Amino acid sequence: MTRVVVMDLSRYNTVMVGHDRYFVLDTDGRRLLVRDHCPHRGGPLSLARRTPDGRRLSCPWHGTKVGVAAVRRTSLPMVRSGDEAVVLLPSDTGPAPVSVIHKEILANLPPEEPCAADGLVPPAALERDMNGEAVACL
Amino acid sequence: MTVTTGTFTTGTVSGGRPGVDVGRLAGGTVASGDRAGDLAALCAQRIFQPGPEVYITGNPYRRPIGAPGVGERDFSVPATEAEFLGSGQLIAGRVLCNAYESDMILLPPAGLGTAKADFDLFYGDEVRRLRDSVRPGLERYSYAFLDDAVPVPAVRTFDELQEYFLAEVGGAGAPADASGSNPAVDLTAPVGGTMRFITECRHPEEAAALHLIQLALDALTEASAMARNLGGSYGLEQSELFKIFVDEFGYGVYGAKHSTIFKEMLASVGLHTDVHAYWNFYLTSSLVGVNYFNWLTEDHRGVFRYMAAVSYLEWLFAQGFADTGAMLRAVYGDRVDAAYCDEHAHIDIHHGRMTYENLLLGLARAHGDLVVPELVRGIEDTKLLLRLGDADFRAQVSWADTLDEHTAAGAALASAANDDGVTATLRPDDPFSTGVHDSDRLVEVTDGEVDVHAWATDRPHRLGKGDVLLVPRSRLHGLKAASAQARVTVRTIERNPHDD
Repeated sequence: MTRVVVMDLSRYNTVMVGHDRYFVLDTDGRRLLVRDHCPHRGGPLSLARRTPDGRRLSCPWHGTKVGVAAVRRTSLPMVRSGDEAVVLLPSDTGPAPVSVIHKEILANLPPEEPCAADGLVPPAALERDMNGEAVACL
Repeated sequence: MTVTTGTFTTGTVSGGRPGVDVGRLAGGTVASGDRAGDLAALCAQRIFQPGPEVYITGNPYRRPIGAPGVGERDFSVPATEAEFLGSGQLIAGRVLCNAYESDMILLPPAGLGTAKADFDLFYGDEVRRLRDSVRPGLERYSYAFLDDAVPVPAVRTFDELQEYFLAEVGGAGAPADASGSNPAVDLTAPVGGTMRFITECRHPEEAAALHLIQLALDALTEASAMARNLGGSYGLEQSELFKIFVDEFGYGVYGAKHSTIFKEMLASVGLHTDVHAYWNFYLTSSLVGVNYFNWLTEDHRGVFRYMAAVSYLEWLFAQGFADTGAMLRAVYGDRVDAAYCDEHAHIDIHHGRMTYENLLLGLARAHGDLVVPELVRGIEDTKLLLRLGDADFRAQVSWADTLDEHTAAGAALASAANDDGVTATLRPDDPFSTGVHDSDRLVEVTDGEVDVHAWATDRPHRLGKGDVLLVPRSRLHGLKAASAQARVTVRTIERNPHDD
């Protein structure tokens, strides 16, 4: 069964599919729904900061540098109409519960200053959960 | 670089306490009166009395302190560095280990079943009351020697701390790499130090097992001491420690938890995986070393020492566990599952950097020069405990590896023994516990046969009638009758300390 989720990008930026999490990454003027999972140990890339050159994300868990290009390749297929996005969920997620929420995304902030310690999460990195939107099954 | 006996992972005193306060130790002794009575009462609890088994499985609450009467001992005068491996430290170490772990949740993996009554006793009101009564005095007894034994380097500022730390880890064989922070790990480095010592002894499997058993003291409850420092509110450093803790606990995945992969390593070489199955084979130095970290996290005045000690160890662990993995593969071949070592050889590269930059230097940055002496003290304490632990482990292996030679030596020395023999009759089902003597002893079997357990092995050294074994002071051992009845006589003997 293929599933899609319809979300309002003006209100929500994160999709939970079972234990997997995807977040909206702003990159080169586009918004992509990418996996919130560092390939090193699964750290939350949504809380990563950009390196000074803006081309990599520094994972908050171990400071692993992950190329933005690599992160883009984890994006889910998405069709947009204004702020409304229809996202095609991975086919192997079975009946995993889906929810759409809004969180603080640090990965979209301007690059950190070079002197800042890698991996330290600013105190402002607070999570704000909100109610999800409708999930449709096709 | 080696991990020595390697029992520290995760886990004080102007007179006994972290954080400097001499006056607060007043009354904190186990000397006489009620507190001494409390220690005897604690040691007399059923779960702290020895049973007939050599290995204790299926029940994490049974932790024999020693032979009957050990609780009567006077612990009012702190042990000196020279007494570090003495019988007092072993007894205090066992009691303190029990005390610290009674605020951790321990459940038998096969179910509480027949251990329910022991569970109730271990966590019950009376044991906790006795524990709280005797603990401060025993901590002073065990750790006050660090005040005298540990040097106080002239390190007082942030910059001096940074320079000092990098010099120390460089001197320990784990210099920073080109980035100036990450500990460099050479996976192809030849195994040296204690790891090589294990591979080259006569019984490398027993020696490697003894090393794993020392690690198990901490690794089967890995990061439980660290968990005590997760609560509260102390800024960025708290979040940094939490990230390390998340790694230790496998991101909430049981199969990835470090204690789980440690169990798999034990099982792969045929060792029991129950918490404290090898309680009788923890060396004195291992107990003191692991207790040190429980102490610093139980008494929160030790937070700065703890963070510095963890920073130093995490930095060294990456190469240390690479060496440990190489040793285990050399000893056991393909049958050992050394994923635990591989995991640490990788993740501790990160932890070394994270702790150094964001715990050690982070705390110095946040709280200023005021805390630098305590941070340095944590590193100096750890260096000393590692050195003493390494010496203890090597001495134990050297002795256990040559019990036949020490039996021949015992026979040669028999006529020179002092006339102070104590004779005992042993039967196979008698209570078994291990211990150490504070002087050299000759153990003579006058009737029957006796097995000597000097490390965990299915082939203990057997003494027959007329055999005499030389047991150097501080060497851990237990005796068990191998015949329906056996009689042994133990005498002291004067020897040159360099004869070991």
